Amino acid sequence: MGLMRYPKLEHFQEPNVITTTADFIFSWARSHSVFPFTYGLACCAIEMLSSGFARFDVARYGMEVFRPTPRQCDLMIVAGTVNEKMAPVLKRLYEQMSEPRWVIAMGACATSGGPFYDGYNVVNGVDKVVPVDVYIPGCPPRPEALFQGLLELQVKIQQHKFVAETPKPAARDAQPAAVTPPAAAAEGA
Amino acid sequence: MPDQFATPAPDEAVKLALRRIEESTARGEGSNVEGLAFNEVVVNMGPQHPSTHGVLRLVVTLDGELVKDVIPVIGYLHRCKEKLAEKRTYYQYIPIVDRTEYVAGMNCEWGYVMTVEKLAGIRPPRRAELIRVIMAELNRIASHQVAVGTFTADLAPLGTAMVFYMFRDREHILDLLEEVSGARMMFNYFRFGGLRYDLPDGWVEKCRDLMKRLPKLIDEYESLVQDNAIFLQRCVGKGVITQQDVIDYGITGPCARASGVAHDLRRTRPYSVYPELDFEVCTQSHGDVFDRYQVRMDEMRESVKIVEQALDMLPKGPVQLGSLRAPYVITPPPGACYTAQENPRGEYGTYIVSDGSRYPYRLKFRDPCFCNLQLFPKLLRGNKIADAVAISGSIDLVLGGIDR
Amino acid sequence: MGLEIGTNAMAMDAIAARLAADFAAALTDVRVQEPDTVVARCARAALKDVARRLKAHPEIGYETLNFVAGVDSVRHFESVYHVYSWKTNTYLELHVEVPKAKAELDTVCDVWPAADWHEREAWDMLGIKYLGHPDLRRILLKDDFVGHPLRKDYIDSAENHPHA
Repeated sequence: MGLMRYPKLEHFQEPNVITTTADFIFSWARSHSVFPFTYGLACCAIEMLSSGFARFDVARYGMEVFRPTPRQCDLMIVAGTVNEKMAPVLKRLYEQMSEPRWVIAMGACATSGGPFYDGYNVVNGVDKVVPVDVYIPGCPPRPEALFQGLLELQVKIQQHKFVAETPKPAARDAQPAAVTPPAAAAEGA
Repeated sequence: MPDQFATPAPDEAVKLALRRIEESTARGEGSNVEGLAFNEVVVNMGPQHPSTHGVLRLVVTLDGELVKDVIPVIGYLHRCKEKLAEKRTYYQYIPIVDRTEYVAGMNCEWGYVMTVEKLAGIRPPRRAELIRVIMAELNRIASHQVAVGTFTADLAPLGTAMVFYMFRDREHILDLLEEVSGARMMFNYFRFGGLRYDLPDGWVEKCRDLMKRLPKLIDEYESLVQDNAIFLQRCVGKGVITQQDVIDYGITGPCARASGVAHDLRRTRPYSVYPELDFEVCTQSHGDVFDRYQVRMDEMRESVKIVEQALDMLPKGPVQLGSLRAPYVITPPPGACYTAQENPRGEYGTYIVSDGSRYPYRLKFRDPCFCNLQLFPKLLRGNKIADAVAISGSIDLVLGGIDR
Repeated sequence: MGLEIGTNAMAMDAIAARLAADFAAALTDVRVQEPDTVVARCARAALKDVARRLKAHPEIGYETLNFVAGVDSVRHFESVYHVYSWKTNTYLELHVEVPKAKAELDTVCDVWPAADWHEREAWDMLGIKYLGHPDLRRILLKDDFVGHPLRKDYIDSAENHPHA
């Protein structure tokens, strides 16, 4: 489907009711206030730091709240090489994030092992350990490249369906017409 | 039970910490309050931690807030660099050396290129030597900005403002380095016998302009913290490195110079054109956290002076021996060689054993942070955990170099 | 000010000659590598004694250990010690050969405390065992890694790659 259609400024100039879907509102809110997880491992971490500071300023996208604990984060940006010693730690931290959660593999090392692909200790890509949503190539990717990845992730978040789908017509007909109360409640009341 | 709630099985480092607790209990070193049983806690700091500056894991044995023992566990960024050196030609390996101490790429490249040039008996032209000095010193300023910035960010919230100013100005330096080499961090700029590119038009004026502005900016950084009572209380007198420590553990760089040891390879083991340049070796005398911070700030000023002198001394000429493009295949004669270079963190050396082929036979990095990190248990013992964060930030670790 | 550098400036040949004279049997093949390194070989059995005497030498005390490198020369292992003398501001590169069949060597941790982690790394990467080391365990690789990767005959195995 793609990008969201935002309400226009004219719509707010008179008393108004905006109708939308719950999915739209939740997705819009979630995609514009992502809390990234500071998972900088190597050189890409320095570019991630640079993107948080004055010149590049990731706060423009609402993502300046880098939290050091995975329990408070939505997005894990794996910036750097993952090796066999680090992989169990990575998996554990990913499992500690609460859903919905996303992973960005930043840099060549996190995507596929990078310049160290034939090392005896290097995991060729973080997607061998956790599921990845966006891959950002580069060694290291410039902060602008990181931002492009973050914007792609915003599009992906906006396509996420949070509200369970209503059952299709055929399934609805198959449901029982009335719901019988449980026997205990009938006795107690 | 879901995996995330299960306590992981203790690994070797944690087992060692628990063994040491048992041994000290058996020796009777307990709490000094009569009749109270004490309980030491083994806590994991890292490998993912906001203040360890990389994937360093510290297995800390705490007695309340006091650090009783620290066991650093490294290797979470071990990228097999020394083995990869045997599979790549000397030329192919230059970008990998960049990624050793990734904050100071130019300096690392120079350390490696210098060793290979010595093995092969190559000397670069004078213009290349001076440009190398300029690049290394610019990178030294940028590296100190990261080091001091993240150090004060750990003492946050008061220091967080400083890190913003330092990173803002670091971008100006990275702009200059990007114009010359094409990349902001992993430059791949040094070649055997010279450099990849010459300076573009107008670069020298831009660099001079930035060097005029930098001293005032450095004053601005200092003014943010130097009179702050909390900063001084957290830094003065903490984490003292004695001169005996410097001798015993091979501490080099600002950590050694803050203890009064005037060991700067640019003066004690001069290389390139440093004998012709006029600069001071910045030392302090107490060896505490504040002195290490002060040494780095002073070194930034000295680097500005060095860059200005080198810009004045730049001759016309080639930046590469022979033809403009570097020799892609270089086969140094068999032998072994060690040269070291003054990295922003200390003595960064490369020991290369060559067997006459296109590939290094053995490459070993002497990394300053690896040697400095050995001092951690001694430095952190007896301090509170908050001081431990300040001390570890002041040592300035880059895990890429420690783990290689 | 404290620790002075280069208080006893000696010519490189003079240093090499002095070492050859003082350590007549123990150090062999002493030569100078410009600009400021003396290279020498030491027998395996004599290492501990030589290390102590080098550190305590009155004129050229090699008090600081720079690094210890393990090298896999095809016929044997080598443990290379690079030490620094503050008095003369020079380096000494000491090569000790270790047979591959029995890759054991005395530790120098009690002489130069800096050797601790360097020897652990040589053990980790090459499998050279340092006898008497206080805590010889893997430092860079995970605890259950099988093999010593910097050996020339190391073959990457699937059990070291659970996440391949």
